[in-house]
This record gives sequence, structure tokens and C-alpha cells, in this order.
Amino acid sequence: MLSSYWFDKFLGKSIAIVSEIQKKHARGSNANPLRLYLTCIRNTLEAAMCLQNFPCQEVERHNKPEVELKTSPELLLNPVTICRNEAEKCLIETSINSLRISLKVKQSDELENILTKKFLRFLSMRAEAFQVLRRKPVQGYDISFLITNYHCEDMQKQKLIDFIVQFMEDIDKEISELKLSVNTRGRLVATEFLKQFI
Amino acid sequence: MILLQSPSRYLLQILYNRVQNLEKGVELDCQWVEFDDIRYHIQGSVKNPNVLLLSVSLPIPPPETVLFGGLPLGALEAIKAAYGVVAQILDPPRDGFNLTLKLNLSKLPPDEEQKHALLTKIASVREVVMGAPLRAVLKQLVTRTVPSDLGKPVALVHRPNESFFLVPQADKVTVIFPMRFNDSIDTVLATSFLQEFVEARRTAGLNNAPPCLWSPSPPQELTEAFTESLSANAGFVSFVIFSRHVEGRKLDRTVWNLSTFHAYVNYHVKCSECFMHTRMRRQVESLIQAGHRNGLYQYHSGPFRSGSIRDGMGYIEPVHGTERYHDLVPVPVHPGSFRFRSGPVRYWSGPELVSLRVHTFITLLQALDRAKPDPEKAKKNSPNRSFKRMSLKDGNNSLGSRSWK
Repeated sequence: MLSSYWFDKFLGKSIAIVSEIQKKHARGSNANPLRLYLTCIRNTLEAAMCLQNFPCQEVERHNKPEVELKTSPELLLNPVTICRNEAEKCLIETSINSLRISLKVKQSDELENILTKKFLRFLSMRAEAFQVLRRKPVQGYDISFLITNYHCEDMQKQKLIDFIVQFMEDIDKEISELKLSVNTRGRLVATEFLKQFI
Repeated sequence: MILLQSPSRYLLQILYNRVQNLEKGVELDCQWVEFDDIRYHIQGSVKNPNVLLLSVSLPIPPPETVLFGGLPLGALEAIKAAYGVVAQILDPPRDGFNLTLKLNLSKLPPDEEQKHALLTKIASVREVVMGAPLRAVLKQLVTRTVPSDLGKPVALVHRPNESFFLVPQADKVTVIFPMRFNDSIDTVLATSFLQEFVEARRTAGLNNAPPCLWSPSPPQELTEAFTESLSANAGFVSFVIFSRHVEGRKLDRTVWNLSTFHAYVNYHVKCSECFMHTRMRRQVESLIQAGHRNGLYQYHSGPFRSGSIRDGMGYIEPVHGTERYHDLVPVPVHPGSFRFRSGPVRYWSGPELVSLRVHTFITLLQALDRAKPDPEKAKKNSPNRSFKRMSLKDGNNSLGSRSWK
């Protein structure tokens, strides 16, 4: 049901708020909001990831990801934004031969902001190891993936989607763990200092 | 090491080496910096091995602090009281330094334990000099003398162009640190650390520790006295010290801890940043590994990588190729349906199978290339007849032989 809903949305210009879907599904499901958000992204990706080889129309002997170059409007599909809230969203832009996924990760305070920035910079620096990771995020987002039809052919589509969703979960988990460890360390340092006065 | 130790370890090591090898008495001249604010210099000569010159350069004082001859209030008396005859203060001090001590090692006490204690004391010259004014104020708590200027804040230098403040009252002293950091990341981490100080104070085990407060804006006591020099990017921390925190031997510890508070926080901020980086690096590695484990890149590990023939060879595309991506569904490939385009090779039915075909095809092309006669070689072997005079007989022979064969 979710899938068909998204497929419809995907065809038209759409910005969807997950909470709306959440309300729709609130009765039957006991999933948490994060799970719903990720399921929504997964279904959208499944629908969006039908890429084919397509040589450049302007320059002969060129074959480039159209979503990056945007040479001809007829090759682009409408972008989809999936928001969990203002701070957390995901933009999926599709074209005939490539797909770009941009993520904005939750940053509730300055410490999280710094941890996110640092961690994602580490990831972007190793982009070649991930193959589908973009070196620079799209403006307004924290991290971007670029999937071309070649990736789809080299890798299994389902595993690629799994990987991206897993990646998002891991980033969230890692950042909250990092924050926790910084705070724990701070607490230990403070306790040791104050113990000196007793 | 969580807590900072008051003796400078490097200085202590130099002193020990010198005392143990007094008869060798090598030339000695070195400088170093501690906590990014105090500079030390030590000099010893071969001629007079018993004498060492120890110079200390203190941080540049901000305008609101009061110094006497370049030293904090009461520093000279504190040095005399701590070192006695072993150290002699030279006036004027060495160029570029605030204090020069002439250490006479022959006057060290003979008893090993006392000698050790005195050398440690010399190595913690920072605590003696910088902590002198703080010690004087805290001592008033112990002796319960009511300070003359009650509630008037005093500024004490602790870092270059930065000071911290003491507000002495009848039964307590409030110590206020404006916290400044150069790096924006340091600032954020330090802010969260300082808030942890307040949280930690609330736990049951630390009921007797000095009450600790953190606020982003300067506390009221300071706003009237010091209008400038009250900008701090990591907020203000204040500790309230009661007489129970400075009783007996606790005084030394309290003075040291308070005078190096900034260095302590800074040190742990750096450590935590370092830990963070290590952890992130490891996590990135494990994310990459996760991709491999899930078999995401399984078709990339074979001998025929799509990138290896991407350049120069062109790629093969079926003229009437199916338009949709097929998930591991083999699509029949007919040999006649290929045409050349520039770009990488595409796999059309189960990557291994097709890459094998592509590979065979390319080997064939290369073989054809090799089979073509080399133009250089061809030139060498071909007999050049046009400019060669031939006798008729030769001509006949060659022509005849050629024509017959």
C-alpha cells in the first residue's frame, strides 16, 4: 500500500511528510517513526531505481549522469523530498540514467552538528571505497549518493538499497554514540577534578 | 593520566640527571613551553657544575591584573619560603624572562627523601609563582581574617592576555573563569564539558565539592568591576571555595587545580577530539567492510573490472537492447547485434558471462592488431627495386623466378 502510494506520488510533483503516512498507518502498525521513515525511503528508492544506459544527447561519445548535468529536461523526473521533520529529510532526484540521494541528518545541538560534520567528512574522504558516495553533498544537505546505471548493473539492486538504508541507520546510531561518549568523558573529567577538593 | 601533575616532568628529569651525574657536569642549555603559556629556560656550564640557571617567562598580563616587577603578588616571598638557600633570585632576570633562579645544587639537603622533595618543589615552580596570589587569598579563609576589600573582585593572570577572577567574601571565595578557546570545535566540546561539571557536582558523592556554576554570560559580581575583558566564547565557570576546601594539605592541591583549570579542560578537550577521530576512522572502515560483507561489490572483485577496459576500447551495446535493468536475469546476447560506441563495456547477462565474452572479443582485437605486419619491418624486408640497376640476366632471373612462382 505504501509502495503504490509512493509510486503515485513519485509521478507527480510531491513533497510528503511522513507523519501523514504515519497517521494513515497508525492503527495497524507498531513501528517506530524511524522505521517508517526508512521504509518510506526504501520504497521510493525501489520505485526510482529503474535506470538505463543513456548516452549524452548533446555531445557524441559522451555518457554522463543526467541528474548531475541536467542537459535536457525531458530526461529528468520530478524530485521527491521525504521529511521526518525539518531537520531530517531526504531528497531523491532521478533521471533516465542516474539517481541522486541526498540526506540531511538530524543535528539537535551544536555538538551534534560538529560530530555530524566531522563524521560525514571522514566518509566523503573515503568516497571511492563506497563507489556510490558523492564527494560533495548537494547544497543544503549533509551527504549525497550518486547511483548510475552502471552501479545498478554491477551491484544487485536490492543490496544497493539495503546498503543505503543501513548506511542511514548507522550514521544516526554512530552520531548518538559519539555524543554519548563525549558526554561520558566530560562527566568523568569533571568528577575527577571535583574529587580533588574533598 | 586524568589529572595534571604540578611538577614539570621535563624539568624534574633534568634536575635528577644533573644531581646524579654532578661530576660529569655537561653543558646544558634548553628551553621549553608548558601548557602553551609558560616558557622555561635552563642553563648549566661545565666550569661550575653545581650551578644551574632556571628562568621562567610568565604569560603576558592583561591590563586589569596587578603585577609587581613582572611577578604576581607575593611570588618573591613564596619562592624564598619554598626553596630557602638552594635558590637565589637574580635581579635583573635573564632577557625575555620574568624570573631567573640561580640553583646551587651543592646546598641540597644530604638526606635522599628531603632532596627528592626539594627537587620536586623546584620542578613545580609554576605552582609557587603563579599560585602565590591565589594562595594568599585562600589562606585568609583558613585564618578567618576578614579581607579589607570585601566583595571586590581581584583579577589574576593565568594565560596570555587572559585573567581569572576572585571574589573574596567573609566565609568563601568565588573563583570565576572566563573560558576562551581558539578553535570553534574546541569551544563546542569545552562547553559541553563545562556543563558536565555542573551536572557532576549534583551527584551524591560530590556533595562536599565546591559548588560549580556555568553560564554563558558573565556573573553579576564582575559586570561592574571589569567591563572589558569579559568576552568568553565558552561561557563562565565559577567555583565557590569554602574553608573546608583549603584546610591543611588541601591548600596546595586546591591552588594547583584552580590555577591550571583552563589547561586541564583544554587537555581533555584535545584528548576527546583525538579519541573521536580514531573512532570515526574505525567506523568508516567498518562501513566499507559491511558493504563487502553484504556482497554489494561482489561483481567488482573479479579479474574483469568494468574500469579496466573503459578507456580506449569502446563499449558494446546491443542495438535493440532491452531498456530496463534486469536483476540478474540473463538476457540473450546475439553476436550479430553489437555495434561500437565510446564508453565502458556493458554487461548484459550475468556479469561474469558477458565480461568473459567481452574479454574474448578484446583479445581477438588485440590478436588482429598483432597480426598486422609492422610497417618498419615491412620496409626492411621488401626489396627496393626501383633504384637498383640490374643486369638483364638478373632481371630475367628475378622476373622469371617470380613469374614462375
